[in-house]
Amino acid sequence: MKVFHNYSITEAGSKMAKLEISNKIRKLRFDNDEMTQQELAKKAGITRQTIVAIEKGKYSPSLELAFRLANVFAKPLEEVFSYQIKEDKKQEKEK
Amino acid sequence: MYYQEKKTIATLIAGVMLLAAYCIYVFQKYQSGVIDMANDLKFWASTMLIFMGAGIVITIIILIVFHIINAIMTEVSKGEQEDPLVEDEMDKLIQLKATRNSYIVVGVGFVFSLVSLVMQMPLAIMINTIFLSFLLGSIFEGFSQLFYYRSGIKNG
Repeated sequence: MKVFHNYSITEAGSKMAKLEISNKIRKLRFDNDEMTQQELAKKAGITRQTIVAIEKGKYSPSLELAFRLANVFAKPLEEVFSYQIKEDKKQEKEK
Repeated sequence: MYYQEKKTIATLIAGVMLLAAYCIYVFQKYQSGVIDMANDLKFWASTMLIFMGAGIVITIIILIVFHIINAIMTEVSKGEQEDPLVEDEMDKLIQLKATRNSYIVVGVGFVFSLVSLVMQMPLAIMINTIFLSFLLGSIFEGFSQLFYYRSGIKNG
């Protein structure tokens, strides 16, 4: 499984653990007759700028938008977005 | 560059123009020495009211000109126009964070204005600090928006 872009946000409730969220929107667009970002944006009811930001990992969408995007590709959410809990370097050093 | 970024720049230009015009106007008045600037609060109040009104008019004019130019440019370059009226959750989140930043600037300005009173500075300093902090706050809001559009924004 190829991950296109990764980014991490601090997971609520844990001190140092990072939540690394990745998405396969770019690949799914390509698989869906090379759907353009503008087309996807229109179908999901958002701007193209937001699609670009999500693909680049610069923006983590809300749960509702994540479901809407998954719905456009007719895929379950976990096939579009995935996450991985990563320990912070500081925490790793402590261990 | 996307529509929201361009719109933010247009608003920023209006803010900077207003700030520059205010500073130039006040400096000219100061140099002429016609009015007792330190104590004439009526002068300051009327000047600020005029500039607030002018600011609204300038912003509206700049945004109208921007919309016209943007519509022509996108029509010519793309042949397909992106719907500018769509404002999604990312735009709203960026707007929210930028507004928070502008409130911080206004808050700091307000504290400085109180400090100026405590230090027995003229009332003109106090009223100008508040006015300028609002102006700088709106400019800072624009820069914050641009920053978040460029660097990205994370939920949570």
